[in-house]
Amino acid sequence: MNKLLSVIALSLSAVVSAQAAVVVIGAPGAADISASDAKKMFLGKGSSSAVVYELDEGNATRSEFHSKVTKKSDAQLKAFWSKQVFTGKGNPPATVNSASAMKSTIASNPNAIGYIDEADLDDSVKVILKP
Amino acid sequence: MNDKINFNFALKSLAMAVSVALVPAQAFAADEQNTDEKIAKLEQQVKDLQQQQTASLADRFKFNGFMSGAYVSADNNSGYLGSSTSADFSEESKMGFQATFAITPQTQAVMQLMMKGENDWDVEAEWAYVSHRFDGGVQVRGGKLRVPLFMYSDYLDVGYAQPFARPPEEVYGTVPFTTYTGGDISYDIDFDDSTLTMQAFGGESEEAGIDISNIIGANVSWTDEIWTLRAVYGQASLDGPVTRPTTITMADPTTGLPVDVNVNVRILDLDSEKATFAGVGASYDNGQFLAVAEWTRAEVAGQYSDSDAGYITLGYRINAFTPYVTAAYYETQDDDERVVVDENSAILAALFNGQRTSYSAGLRWDALDNLAVKFDVTYATDFGDTSGGFQTNVLREYDDVTVYTVKFDVVF
Repeated sequence: MNKLLSVIALSLSAVVSAQAAVVVIGAPGAADISASDAKKMFLGKGSSSAVVYELDEGNATRSEFHSKVTKKSDAQLKAFWSKQVFTGKGNPPATVNSASAMKSTIASNPNAIGYIDEADLDDSVKVILKP
Repeated sequence: MNDKINFNFALKSLAMAVSVALVPAQAFAADEQNTDEKIAKLEQQVKDLQQQQTASLADRFKFNGFMSGAYVSADNNSGYLGSSTSADFSEESKMGFQATFAITPQTQAVMQLMMKGENDWDVEAEWAYVSHRFDGGVQVRGGKLRVPLFMYSDYLDVGYAQPFARPPEEVYGTVPFTTYTGGDISYDIDFDDSTLTMQAFGGESEEAGIDISNIIGANVSWTDEIWTLRAVYGQASLDGPVTRPTTITMADPTTGLPVDVNVNVRILDLDSEKATFAGVGASYDNGQFLAVAEWTRAEVAGQYSDSDAGYITLGYRINAFTPYVTAAYYETQDDDERVVVDENSAILAALFNGQRTSYSAGLRWDALDNLAVKFDVTYATDFGDTSGGFQTNVLREYDDVTVYTVKFDVVF
């Protein structure tokens, strides 16, 4: 029974990850970044000058991104930012409401980074990390 | 809307009809699509620019808030956690507002106002400081700050950011003041996958008539966002009378009838006594399993309690639910310094000797994306031959107590 469950769980997770392959994007000239760079940037740590954009709360790509990069669930991320905000350590990144808004925002700022589903990719932005 | 679509369609059809005669249809379709994309892009750029302009000042101000409402009751009147047998809605209910103003990208002013039920909802500033971040990871802050002795000190009142209904009282109750006026300097060292933060702080404070001066201390913490390890040391000088509110029955001078008078009885004079605090803490949170443990030692020269305290919390997330258990203890270490020889020394021993172990079981439910509801049952026992550390139980009427809590925590 347990084996059967884990097979189902595995195949389910394979389906989920095949559908939503999130990619971190920068402007066309941006350099690649590492997974740990991305984690720091999206948690407001380090002294990077990057301008970070998130998709709105509740967006499935956002949840997928954080489960892979910052390893935080939606509720944990919310708790993390409330801790940062109320200790004056930082504010959550600005948000945009769609993949197309994300692309145009990132494309127009060489310091900006964000993420979208791979399916929404086009030439206006560059993939700088495939987590 | 429909009219517009129809109109557009009619226009496009018309254009198409005219152009079909002039250019190959396919080339035209491709051209139109390009134009549409370009217009969409330009529109987005104009929107971005407008946003950047109007947002510049508004963006520098940030307002946030948090709120907790709690129902607390207990099976007796020992006074543990401020509880009693009658339901209490104000003891742990609170509301906080924070305004942050970015003076420059590196410099900000932060003000956090708190209203607490236990203080009759008086408005108090818990944080009020200006901070500046230098290039290279050094940050300085000055103003009214939180005393950073415990792992949850910095966000003690932000229940939403904590897994449990409240940080264990055995540990968090050992230091009666939570803010100071002064400054701190912190330094972040970023490693590949983790951050080491060193912080030094100094200043002064005041609590219940006792001057707390020459506060100085430092802490170091390391985190990779899964593991967090922390150590802290702090010291201060305490000066002033330790008092205890008591009700005395006296005869009214005019009528001669008995009346109850509330007075603060002076129990002990602290004469610039040195107090020291040391603590270590660790937490683990992989997104599913969470564990937090802290151990602290607080010492005050003279008759005032020296105590050791610690706790461990374990929790497990199942979607929106996080059941947790906590075990905590508190024990004074200097009972042999309070030898009972007369009535006075007996009072001191009754007030300053204390020991207690508590066990909590609770559940955090992330009901909405900014609202957590918490249910908690805490049982405290093992008071030995002490009051359990409750000033309200110096007559040792109670040797255990169970406290029930239902609490909601919101951030906005």
